[in-house]
Amino acid sequence: MEENRVLHGGRLLRYNFRERLVHWVAGLSYIYLLLTGLAFWSPWCFWIAVILGGGSVSRVLHPWVGLVYAASVIYMLGIWSRDMEITDTDRKWTQSIGAYVRNEEEEMLPEHAERAWQQWAPVDRFNLGQKYLFWTMFWGGIVLLVTGVVLWFPERAPQSIRLISILVHPIAFLVTLAGFIIHVYMGTAIVRGGFTSIIRGEVTENWARHHHRLWVERITEDAAARK
Amino acid sequence: MTNGWIDIKNTDMAMVIGGNPAENHPCGFKWVMEAKRNRNAKLLVIDPRFTRTAAVSDYFVQIRAGSDIALLGGMINYAIQNNRINKEYVANFTNASYIVREDFKLPEDGLYSGYDATKRAYEKVSWNYQPAGQVHPAPPEIKDGKPVPPKMPEVVDHDPMLENPRCVFQLLKKHYSRYTPEMVERITGIPKDQFLKAADMFTSVRKDGDMTKVGTIIYAVGLTQHSYGAQMIRTACVLQLLLGNIGRAGGGMNALRGHSNIQGATDMAGIFDILPGYLKVPVPADKDLKSYLERITPKPSKPKEWDSFNYWSNTPKFAVSLLKAVYGDAAKKENDFCFHHLPKVDRRYSFADIWNDMYLGKVKGLFAIGMNGVMIGPDSKKNIEALKKADWLVVGEIYPDETSEFWKAPGTTTEEMQKIQTTVYRLPCAGFAEKDGTFVNSARWLVWKNAALPTPGDAKLDQEIVARIFLKVRELYAKEGGKFPEGPLSIAWAYSNPNSPSLSEVAKEINGKALADIEDPKTKQQMKAGQQLPGFAWLRDDGTTMAGNWLYCGSWTEAGALSQRRDLADPSGLGIHQNFAWSWPMNRRVMYNRASCNLDGKPWDPSRKQVWWSEAAQKWVGNDVPDFKPDSHPKDHMGPFIMNGEGVGRLFTPLGLMAEGPFPEHYEPFESPIENPLHPKVTNNPVVKKFTTPLDKFGNTGEGYNIVCTTYRLTEHYHYWTKNNPALVQEVPEPFVEIPLELAAEKGIKGGDRVKVTTARATYEAKAMVTGRIKPMQIDGKPTYQIGIPIHWGYRGIAEDEGKTALTPANFLSPTTLDPNAHTPEFKGFLVKLEKA
Amino acid sequence: MSQATLRITKISGHAGAVPGSNMSRDAKEKQVCKMVDTTTCIGCKACEIACQEWNDLPFASTSFNNTYQTMPDTAWNFWNLIRFQEYQRPNSDGSKTFMWLMRKDQCMHCADPGCLEACPADGAIVQYSNGIVDFQTDQCIGCGYCITGCPFNIPKLNPVTHKVHKCTLCADRVSGNLEPACIKACPTGCLHFGTKEDMLFQANRRVQQLKTHYGMAEAGVYDPPGVGGTSVIYVLHDATQPELYGGLPRDPRVPWTVKLWKHPLKWIGNIAIIGGVVGTFMHYLRYGPKIVPEDNAKGGH
Repeated sequence: MEENRVLHGGRLLRYNFRERLVHWVAGLSYIYLLLTGLAFWSPWCFWIAVILGGGSVSRVLHPWVGLVYAASVIYMLGIWSRDMEITDTDRKWTQSIGAYVRNEEEEMLPEHAERAWQQWAPVDRFNLGQKYLFWTMFWGGIVLLVTGVVLWFPERAPQSIRLISILVHPIAFLVTLAGFIIHVYMGTAIVRGGFTSIIRGEVTENWARHHHRLWVERITEDAAARK
Repeated sequence: MTNGWIDIKNTDMAMVIGGNPAENHPCGFKWVMEAKRNRNAKLLVIDPRFTRTAAVSDYFVQIRAGSDIALLGGMINYAIQNNRINKEYVANFTNASYIVREDFKLPEDGLYSGYDATKRAYEKVSWNYQPAGQVHPAPPEIKDGKPVPPKMPEVVDHDPMLENPRCVFQLLKKHYSRYTPEMVERITGIPKDQFLKAADMFTSVRKDGDMTKVGTIIYAVGLTQHSYGAQMIRTACVLQLLLGNIGRAGGGMNALRGHSNIQGATDMAGIFDILPGYLKVPVPADKDLKSYLERITPKPSKPKEWDSFNYWSNTPKFAVSLLKAVYGDAAKKENDFCFHHLPKVDRRYSFADIWNDMYLGKVKGLFAIGMNGVMIGPDSKKNIEALKKADWLVVGEIYPDETSEFWKAPGTTTEEMQKIQTTVYRLPCAGFAEKDGTFVNSARWLVWKNAALPTPGDAKLDQEIVARIFLKVRELYAKEGGKFPEGPLSIAWAYSNPNSPSLSEVAKEINGKALADIEDPKTKQQMKAGQQLPGFAWLRDDGTTMAGNWLYCGSWTEAGALSQRRDLADPSGLGIHQNFAWSWPMNRRVMYNRASCNLDGKPWDPSRKQVWWSEAAQKWVGNDVPDFKPDSHPKDHMGPFIMNGEGVGRLFTPLGLMAEGPFPEHYEPFESPIENPLHPKVTNNPVVKKFTTPLDKFGNTGEGYNIVCTTYRLTEHYHYWTKNNPALVQEVPEPFVEIPLELAAEKGIKGGDRVKVTTARATYEAKAMVTGRIKPMQIDGKPTYQIGIPIHWGYRGIAEDEGKTALTPANFLSPTTLDPNAHTPEFKGFLVKLEKA
Repeated sequence: MSQATLRITKISGHAGAVPGSNMSRDAKEKQVCKMVDTTTCIGCKACEIACQEWNDLPFASTSFNNTYQTMPDTAWNFWNLIRFQEYQRPNSDGSKTFMWLMRKDQCMHCADPGCLEACPADGAIVQYSNGIVDFQTDQCIGCGYCITGCPFNIPKLNPVTHKVHKCTLCADRVSGNLEPACIKACPTGCLHFGTKEDMLFQANRRVQQLKTHYGMAEAGVYDPPGVGGTSVIYVLHDATQPELYGGLPRDPRVPWTVKLWKHPLKWIGNIAIIGGVVGTFMHYLRYGPKIVPEDNAKGGH
């Protein structure tokens, strides 16, 4: 890691400025793409484009914002590809997914909650779900980019390519939307502290040990090594 | 046209030869489509290329440019050999039965009797009918030491059975017996089986002499623009007469005029050798009106038992009425109606002659009004050089054109430009939508049109330009005198606005009016002085009538301008719209329509009744106006061809009516890839006209010119001015040369490559259009290619000004070899070289 | 376009019912049709110019392309194009007959229009009860999906405005009881206009004539069923080989990917999205959030 993420007062730097910025660029651009995309997806949602400046304006801006989104996920790949690698440990964590979804670790008494966590495979900076989300949004983004460029210049691509794109682009959209819904839900409603971490960047060491023990150990080691 | 545009819908069989009506007359061509849609008519197309017309034809035959006489002669031979003739029609309505003079010789060696090789001209006295009872021709008549010009005998011998070996029919048969399918193949390049199929197809309308069906021949300048073009047309006429197609609905010889008013131009004598209404021009030998009229007024020439209307016998009435129209009150009986004021035409002053004279320094100035002489050519470089020598040039146009900018033609150096002393005046003229007046279409209809727009800027109407120049010149004559001031000073110019005469006044003058109170001796009908005449039957030779053109008499009567009528009614369904505009002569829509009936006056085909004899009314009646003497009983055997002295159609053209001879004979184009297989020693037209300046050069195969080239128009462009119209430049933006696939492969030329086409005269450069529409041919056994060049581009236009073309006009290439009858240059069928540029 | 005089029966990208969809008393019978008889087309291009003139379209800049065809394809300012094709037709005796085929190419005004199907913009493409398919340029968002949806490759984008354009079958003239401009200009009577019923009748009669009197055994009418039939039909010399006529598609249909996207995928997707959102709400009700114990006790995030 390039910088020290252990801060004073038991706080850790979960996401630095760059990471938060690129996340919000991706997120906000995705929201715009989602809204205008919904308008193009269904006549029942076409009014969305209307209130966002009109159909033509939406159609003009959608691909440009798409480029922004694509650039941001590619940048994310640049900074997070190592952190997002799926390891054998992650694969062991799949056994815990059901309990995780049901928040079973939270239902236990506080003194047991820690242990419950420890019974599951340990989680590094990002858990498997987060990694799946990343790759979904990344590859989904690439597919959306490629098919999107084809649809952006309809008179340059042969019809067969366009016909495939016209189907694949919305399919990729649906897939990334699934990821988006789950990600926003979890980040705002389910994982307390998650939203703050992506705004202000800091989390408590306790929170971090609870959710990402291996990461805490790694950055603590690293901080000690710096001294 | 003998028939008309709409009449074409009545045909069973249309042959398009030397023309491309789908391309150049798309609106008129609809009538061929109507015939196909409604009558299951068939279309045969003969052309050097597979054209737009060929695309909708039932059979297409590719022909070598310039060899149509061989093909049509072959069809004449085929018709005779295969009994595709109706004897009643041929024997009675043509001169087939006329006996020809004993000393007349057919041109087996290429020359008719009477050829003088030193003069390159014919002594034509033997080309004549045999006077009745006179088997051996009399010695030529001499008067005042000079031979009297021979005339047709007034009474002739004839053989109604058509068996006498000296009768026209037998001579015709013998003449065209040389045009076998094998000979046709050698000359035209048409394989024998294709020729036979085409001949069978076209002549099938007359199978075993059945007269029910009709065929028409539709042609344009593909026949005319050759050094024997008039004879090409004649061959088709002979075929049509032989097949009994003339005078009949859906038949006829239909010339497609190439300009909306070129028919009007020729009717009104826009040519040096006629006066309005096709009166012959006076020559210096006509010492007075009487001898002039005697020379030009034909006498009947027929078997004793027959009758001939010989309508040209009224020539004096037409001529005197014309003189009264031109010279008004100055023309009196005492001064021969100002006959002496008319120019006497002493030699040929055709279009090509004018340019030649200018090149030789004899013509000092030129008015080019709506005529782009440089682009027309032929041999445009010669025309450009000619203009450099002229003192002045006046161009009346709607766009700046190549003629007015001759001084910057490509290849002209700055030094040369500085030496040019020609003063060029450019007069902006009105476009067609800004002018009223009449157009006369190919169907001879005078159609009045109104102006749709005012003229822009300084542009003036044609009549104003002509009037003001004329009046100014006349004023100078009055002030300063001159060579012959009486001529211009005696011309009548009594228009309400002399500086810009209204065309309705002029049209009324052309129709003619009574100059005194006159009465028709038969009907007792009276006309008062000043009244518009109802028809040319009213014209007189005593100065009591005037008419600017006898043919148009009847077009603007006391009832008004019949050319303005627009009634669409067609009660007979034959397309005879009697009350739509007005056709000459006297609103007859199909000429020679008496021939649509048999000898008894009954229509050959009851389903297409044009006119017929009514025994009850004792006159000819019908759906069309009878083109005939109305009360001539069928038993009087008056011929339907009332404008001939014979009264019948001419299979044999006597005396000098056609310069090459009485029957058309195949000659090669002046620049030909082969020797004439019929008679190699006389390959070309023995009386062709050509010029001898250093710029009149000719090429031959020995020098490497071995590709046959033809020139033509496209649908999307109109001659030389639509290159200024952005819509049409969009449709066809650049000039091109059409090249056969095989020739392109041989020369390594791909579609779009720049190519150079060269004649002995100049080079033309454009992009190659490589196409399968022109196939390689075998001409007299030699592999021969043809290429084609659309004419529309020059050195001034939208694409030209943007530097997108090579700036060469197509007519840089064409030679100045002229048909001796019509003086038309050989724009089609000359030799070129082709290479990548 | 005047909606008062022409009932609109289909609208692109529209939620819910189409206002005029059951308003016309005899919508089916009054379907208009342009009949193009390729056997009488002389390729004179009067129709090309008439269309540009009537619609005030700017002239295009063209260049030589080794053909009489004005340009390679229709354009935003060139709505009908004569396609020229040289063809050597093989005869039964082994010989070949040369043909020069000319087909007027323009919007076919399909009964089942692929452009309208693919278009996401509400009201950008409409179909009137007379069968005419029209672009309403104000509503067009310039996405070009119609270009992909059209089996005839007809709609073309204006590169500056990014709106698409095509033949309107002169809906403005037709609504005033005039024939389309191309039909008025055609000099040989190759183009005909009337009701679909009448035009089919004329076309079939012409085909019979071609078979009986002109030896064209393969003549036929091109009225492709794959798009529900079209308001532009062709009489072809050889209806078994429409591709010869400048690439006329043999069996045109609305592309299956477009249909898949607009129908099954739409259903599945909408259910999934709504299901997903509802699902998250229900999950929260059932399982609530994750709370890290000490943090909660300390009360700080």
